[in-house]
Amino acid sequence: MADDSRYYQVGQRPREVVLHPAGDEPLRRHRVPFTRRHLVKWRSRANPKSLRHERRLSDKRPLWWVLGLGALLIATPFLSNSMITIAAIFCMFAAINVLWTLVIGTAGIFSLATLAIVGIGGYAAAGLNVWIALPWPLMFVVGGLAGLIVGGFLALPSTRLDGLYYALLTMGFAEICRVFVVQLKVLGPTNGSINSVGSFIPRDWFLQRPGLLMGFGGAFILLLLSLLVFRIVNSERLGMRLQTAREEVGGEAFAEAVGIDYRQARLYVFLITSGCLGVIGAFYAMFYMSISPSIFSLDQLLLLFAMIVIGGLGRSEGAVIGTAIVVLIDKGMLELGPLRILLIAAIMLGVTLWTDNGIAGIRDQFRTYRNRKKSEARARRTEKGGEVMPEEAIEFTDKQEVYYRRFQKRLRDHLKTLITDDLIEQHRKAPLGKHSDALNRVLNYFRRGEMADKYAIMRQPDGFHKYKVVAFSGERGAPPRLVDDKTYEDINDAYHAVFLLRVNDLLES
Amino acid sequence: MDILGTLIHGLNLAAIYGLMAIGISILWSSIGMINMAHGATFAVSGYAAWLASSAMKPVIAAAFGKTLMAKFAMAGVTVGAGVTAGAMFGAIIYLLAFLPIHDKPNYPVRSLIVTLAINLATVQLLLWYFGPRSRGLPKLFGFGKFEVLGIPIRYDQAGAIISTAVILGLVLLWLKVSRKGLEIRAMMQNPEGAVLSGISVRWTALPVTMLTGALAGLAAILLSQTIFVSPTSGALPLIKGLTIALLGGLGSVPGAVAGAVIIGFLEATVGALPFLGQRYVLFAQFLFIITVLIIRPRGLGGLLDETRE
Amino acid sequence: MTRAFTPPISKSPRMPDVLAISGLTAGYGPLRVLHEIDFRVAEGERVGLVGLNGHGKTTLFRAVAHMTGWQSGSIKLNDTEIGGTRSTGPGRRTSAIVRKGMAMTPQGDAIFPGLTVRQHLDCGAYSKLAWRERRQRRDMVMDIFPPLRSLQDALVGKLSGGERRMVSVGRALMVDASLYLIDEPSLGLAPKISASVIEALFSLPTDGRAMVIAEQNVALLSGRVDRMIGMHAGRIRGDVGHVGLE
Repeated sequence: MADDSRYYQVGQRPREVVLHPAGDEPLRRHRVPFTRRHLVKWRSRANPKSLRHERRLSDKRPLWWVLGLGALLIATPFLSNSMITIAAIFCMFAAINVLWTLVIGTAGIFSLATLAIVGIGGYAAAGLNVWIALPWPLMFVVGGLAGLIVGGFLALPSTRLDGLYYALLTMGFAEICRVFVVQLKVLGPTNGSINSVGSFIPRDWFLQRPGLLMGFGGAFILLLLSLLVFRIVNSERLGMRLQTAREEVGGEAFAEAVGIDYRQARLYVFLITSGCLGVIGAFYAMFYMSISPSIFSLDQLLLLFAMIVIGGLGRSEGAVIGTAIVVLIDKGMLELGPLRILLIAAIMLGVTLWTDNGIAGIRDQFRTYRNRKKSEARARRTEKGGEVMPEEAIEFTDKQEVYYRRFQKRLRDHLKTLITDDLIEQHRKAPLGKHSDALNRVLNYFRRGEMADKYAIMRQPDGFHKYKVVAFSGERGAPPRLVDDKTYEDINDAYHAVFLLRVNDLLES
Repeated sequence: MDILGTLIHGLNLAAIYGLMAIGISILWSSIGMINMAHGATFAVSGYAAWLASSAMKPVIAAAFGKTLMAKFAMAGVTVGAGVTAGAMFGAIIYLLAFLPIHDKPNYPVRSLIVTLAINLATVQLLLWYFGPRSRGLPKLFGFGKFEVLGIPIRYDQAGAIISTAVILGLVLLWLKVSRKGLEIRAMMQNPEGAVLSGISVRWTALPVTMLTGALAGLAAILLSQTIFVSPTSGALPLIKGLTIALLGGLGSVPGAVAGAVIIGFLEATVGALPFLGQRYVLFAQFLFIITVLIIRPRGLGGLLDETRE
Repeated sequence: MTRAFTPPISKSPRMPDVLAISGLTAGYGPLRVLHEIDFRVAEGERVGLVGLNGHGKTTLFRAVAHMTGWQSGSIKLNDTEIGGTRSTGPGRRTSAIVRKGMAMTPQGDAIFPGLTVRQHLDCGAYSKLAWRERRQRRDMVMDIFPPLRSLQDALVGKLSGGERRMVSVGRALMVDASLYLIDEPSLGLAPKISASVIEALFSLPTDGRAMVIAEQNVALLSGRVDRMIGMHAGRIRGDVGHVGLE
């Protein structure tokens, strides 16, 4: 081959970064301290084509997380005051939504009481801080405990009620909380809100730039912690157990059958989440230095629901993306007025009508769609399914047989196109000897035929130049059978007769 | 405490909540949609009725003067506009929340989200266009009260109770005996079997959404005799309707009727009790519903829900 | 060795075709189940469609009703084209096709469990005429399936398997369809009951209509249908024509 031949990168992802470590280099993998987990998922393999050792990142999501959150962390200090507040609110709501995703996605409990738990945690912490002067670090503990208790109370009916029933019930619970708080006599003068709550932000820094930055820092840490909780609960033992029960049809029955107590696992997830939400509630009260009954309101809940719906139910990245979109529209475009909510509703509508699982699921949805279309098109144009029915295919122990049959079918289809009157004429003239390429192919196929029903020529005992065509039985000891009574005087005629018989069989198959 | 008055008040509330709850229940049982936009339908119908009545007021006054006919015409215009607007809004819900997604996976959750979005958008649009001020509708049944067996009944209470009973009776009868009703029930039980019986799922769902929308419109008109029309006036009836539909067992119409009566009386009783009062009404209702649901997770008559599967 | 496919000969060449399928290919997702099927049913015919499980009998019926994942090819019902390449989801056009004169009994008990027998039968009377005459038609169905007469107000979900099959088949008979597709009437039934269901099917008059019965149990059909057609691996294999009624 000439030297100027060009090589093309082939494959699905020619631009993917692939490391080529030296083959004799020892494998060094860093583990997260105190665990057996690795930070990123490197996978090595020997490429059979290039014969090189290569190592690639099989899950790139950690990279995106680090890039996104890192950009947020670095960019925020340079933003305006209002943007810092928006960033802090984003972090706080993202933390709530990540935990909510844990309840809806991992545990499969369609709970709408998330904000109610946050609110109760916040009220408990704020109330104790204001009335018995609880120091602010302990407020987190109080908030968490309050969340845990409310979560325990709410978890009771969760295993008994069906999804939508439970959702509406918890929505009612939020409404009860709001009414209850508004009607508390103690809070009457302030319309149900608790003000001047102690905070980790020093009082004279509140709403000043350093105070805002502190608030953002706290919210960011909160988001990181909730992502950690998500990771630990969702992808470790508890989440793995629940994964079985998540199947749409019969998942729960199956989980029970293999001995997984999915109800208990769901309860644990719900309790853990509730505790964490209570902590976020305490943070919420400290962040605003007050807490008001609007946190229980239906509108706020709907806004939060819009966030996880737009991002995609059940995925942490979905929760964060959705929160970013909705918070940017709701808090960042204040000049739009009521149009903001319309915009959010329109996005929600579009996402639900066209995507299966929010924005985070678009990639998967597109791949599924493409694969489905591809396989449908393949099924339309190929006939290989016709040779072996799927039911038959699973009965074969030797899968080679499936492919053998499909190959034979393709081969026969091809050979059928080769058979013409000219070809037959050519064989009639010279059954043996030099043949054209097409005839050679056909004859080669005939020669490789199976023994059963294979034709042969038998010399008759009553004359030297008398031949008859027979077909082998294919079984040892069973004699061949006569195909017809015709006797051929010339061996070439007999050859040709056999050829014609085989051509006939080929065309009929 | 005035027991009989409470009874009438309870019936009045039961009638209005029942209209909402039955709409939600029918929609769930026939096309599997939890309609969160029912409250928006309520508000839209209220505004439509208000617009129509204030637009027609001079016309009617010119045509009939201050006769009884004028009252009838006014009532006709108000009710007609409200019910029509409700039905039209039901058709919009059908176009957005049923037609594009009805054969996609996870339809109940999807439609719930879509109707939530519709609700959100509609309430904001109303707020934007009409402002937060509430509007009063003309009194259909006039002011005043009459006495039956010594119980004083206000005209609007009597009107609400009687018209609800009549209309619900007609709707339920229609669902029971008519061919459309049979088709709706067939569709809710087995969509595949329904299409094999020549029932088009897409064309059968439209009258259902329009019917439930019209019911919500009627409820809006009736409730607006006692409260005012405002953009957010649909939220409370929606929550009440939903919880009653839950209590009755989603999809069960008799259950919804029973639930509406129970909740109506509960509200009237708790509101009338001196040591509890109006502020604990919601509380008492939710406690009651939670208790019932924990004892009977499928509600009072939630059998149809199982037959759906 | 399989024989080459010969187009089926209808019982009487003068009779028009009720169903004429040509080049029908259908499947679900990546699976191609039917391969270029050509198939005709003439008016007044009873055709038995036999073949093993998973060889495309049900899919053939579902393709006529447009309930497969995807399909292409021509399907003519009473000379009206109802086939063609379809891109919408399954079941969207089914009700329109049913109204053109196809009555199909799906495999198993795909019926309405919460309706009474009477309501269930009424569901089948979708045309205006049939709805007006639904009482007479119900009586006709009850004559064919006498056990249903005493069960008119019972919920279908509470009936036994055989009774449910009778209701399911009876629903298809409530309207004057020109083509009846009966899928596995004997599936899951005791032999005695399935024989009686089949018996009832054969007692129907065949003037102006055609019937295709898919069945695994050849013995139930043999000698009683006008033609027997075998399906193998998504293709039509063999056509035993002119099996006269005894």
